Amino acid sequence: MEPLLVVEHLTKIYQRGEILALDDVSFTVNRGEFLVLIGLSGSGKSTLLRCINRLIEPTSGRIIFDGIDVTKASPRELRLIRRRMAMIFQNFNLVRRSLVMTNVLAGRLGYANPWLSALQKFPRSDIEMAMANLKRVGIPEQAYKRADELSGGQQQRVGIARALMQKPDLLMADEPVSALDPATSNSVMQYIELMNKEDGVTVITSLHFLSLARRYGTRILALKDGKIVFEGLPAEIDEAKFKEIYGEEAEEVEIR
Amino acid sequence: MAKRQKKSRSVKDPLYSPRRIRPRISALLVDWMSWGYIAYCVVYLLNNYWYHRYVNYYGTLSLPDTWGWLVVIIATLELAAISHAFGHSIGLSLFGLRLLDEEYRPPRFKQRLIRFLWWHLLPVGTIVGFVLKRQPGLFHDTRSKTRMYLIADVKDQIPATKPRKWYLTHRGAMILALITATFWVGWLVTEINLGAFFGRMGRSAYIWKDLVTPSFAHFIVPETKMTVIGAAPIELTILGGIIESVFMALLATVIGAFFAFPLSFFGARNIMGFSPLGWTIYGVTRGFFNIFRSIESILWAIIFAIWVGHGPFAGALALTIHTVAALGKLYSEQVEGIDPGPLEAIAATGARRWQVILYGVVPQIIPSYLAFTLYRWDINVRMSTIIAIVGGGGIGRFLFFYKNSVGVIPDSWNQVGAVVITIVAVVWSLDYISGRIREKIT
Repeated sequence: MEPLLVVEHLTKIYQRGEILALDDVSFTVNRGEFLVLIGLSGSGKSTLLRCINRLIEPTSGRIIFDGIDVTKASPRELRLIRRRMAMIFQNFNLVRRSLVMTNVLAGRLGYANPWLSALQKFPRSDIEMAMANLKRVGIPEQAYKRADELSGGQQQRVGIARALMQKPDLLMADEPVSALDPATSNSVMQYIELMNKEDGVTVITSLHFLSLARRYGTRILALKDGKIVFEGLPAEIDEAKFKEIYGEEAEEVEIR
Repeated sequence: MAKRQKKSRSVKDPLYSPRRIRPRISALLVDWMSWGYIAYCVVYLLNNYWYHRYVNYYGTLSLPDTWGWLVVIIATLELAAISHAFGHSIGLSLFGLRLLDEEYRPPRFKQRLIRFLWWHLLPVGTIVGFVLKRQPGLFHDTRSKTRMYLIADVKDQIPATKPRKWYLTHRGAMILALITATFWVGWLVTEINLGAFFGRMGRSAYIWKDLVTPSFAHFIVPETKMTVIGAAPIELTILGGIIESVFMALLATVIGAFFAFPLSFFGARNIMGFSPLGWTIYGVTRGFFNIFRSIESILWAIIFAIWVGHGPFAGALALTIHTVAALGKLYSEQVEGIDPGPLEAIAATGARRWQVILYGVVPQIIPSYLAFTLYRWDINVRMSTIIAIVGGGGIGRFLFFYKNSVGVIPDSWNQVGAVVITIVAVVWSLDYISGRIREKIT
């Protein structure tokens, strides 16, 4: 079976600071995988994820998503591609003053009738779907609260519900749990795992804690200074590899 | 050097890239301009106090007209160069630059002197040095073995030193000189005359007396003597006038906000800054805001009073134009200040650009838009009370009328007192109400 995502020689240079954020990165992601990106802050994980759906324009290289060249896509084609790859964020990126329901329905904007969406109207089926997705992440009773009234873990679950609305083939998660406490982290990770196992959504996520990466990832990709320094199974990361990725002074901490 | 390069993962030579050269040029221009400003002030003061000794008949320094200006320009440039070589000037601190030697220490005096002297040969020396010795780098940099670093690049290398007292630093002394010169020259230019202020106090006493004994004769009884040139006489009461003013302000605010709302997105960098076309629209919109905002409503009222005739309509139009521009700018700044996260998230779902704005931007800015609109209503009520002086309608007609009839109508200042008291009462209460509402929404 052809891989879902192929990244070839991806390079990103931030013009303003002349900083080389990604340096000739190539890898493939197979369907159904749970790929975890690890690396220090500033190693290029966020840039890599945002280059894949072109929230950040790559400087050079190619990204092939399900046989379509993302880097060459026109604005219209790009929207159709983005519809199929959902994203959740470290800071949840909810519209804090809007209702939870509105935030979840926003995940449907790529599919929605533009005229109706201009009037903030969504078809009944979408609203039912939003409610079902909120039930799935366990917060149906919060649907008509304002997003900023929710706790961090609940907000991230709204983010997951928003991603579910897209019925995506690929889920990209940028540090989804680093703003959460350990207990909430695990529950959020379990919802992401559920998406991976039950809906067959391919997942790429960056994670700070190696213990979480070992537990959920089927494959691990380590970045350092914009380069891939490790690619393989979670079990293959030993003490030496760990020091190579995180530097000499690092020590592994456990999160349960 | 190699170590630093690795750390910041910089792509080009860190010292001479445009990002690092541009601040150096800007810093020089800033210092050149501040020395130029001081030179201007000094000439002005010399002209004022020692007219005969140092300044010629035409009020300029006794330098020949043909090349005197060139001397001033070159002298101030030299002073700026000295500032850069020997001290930490305003420009250098403004653009985050620091002169250090190759070991990141403050240079010695000799190095600074060499740097300043060789700076004069900068264009020739740099080319010659590069061609003959294959030595990249600016001439005065390499000769004096000092570099002008961006502080951001070397902040880890600079050893911490105890700072001097602010007024002993070059920057502090320079700022002090600029402020002193500005106030000194400003005092002379505005012809401040404390003698007149205190000595002639008694002359306006009768006005104050009349103002505090107001006459509400025309509060509800119309004033019939009021006329507008070329139009039928108008009958207006103070109460009617203030109502007219408040409605003028209300309509101007509502209509102005209606137009400013869509325009504010065109004037926001984070919405438009994605294509050359977007930048053009942004520039045009911002230009419109700035030009129309800097023309005061009073001037617009003069134009519209001629265009549509004297009266509240002209005033409302004038206020509307100014409101669109002023609110547009305030709104745009709100749009620029929003949290970009939700926009990113909504764009990532495959939404169109306008959907991103509707679902990501609008909910974030609504409360501050309301607050600014209320605030603008305040301003418009205040403006509308005087706009009639140039033909805009509203309560200001009374001020205009009585100003012109001082001596003709015996109690005109008492009537003005009544008008002023009405204005204060209305502005004050509206201010209070809108303040309370703003508190509630933000």
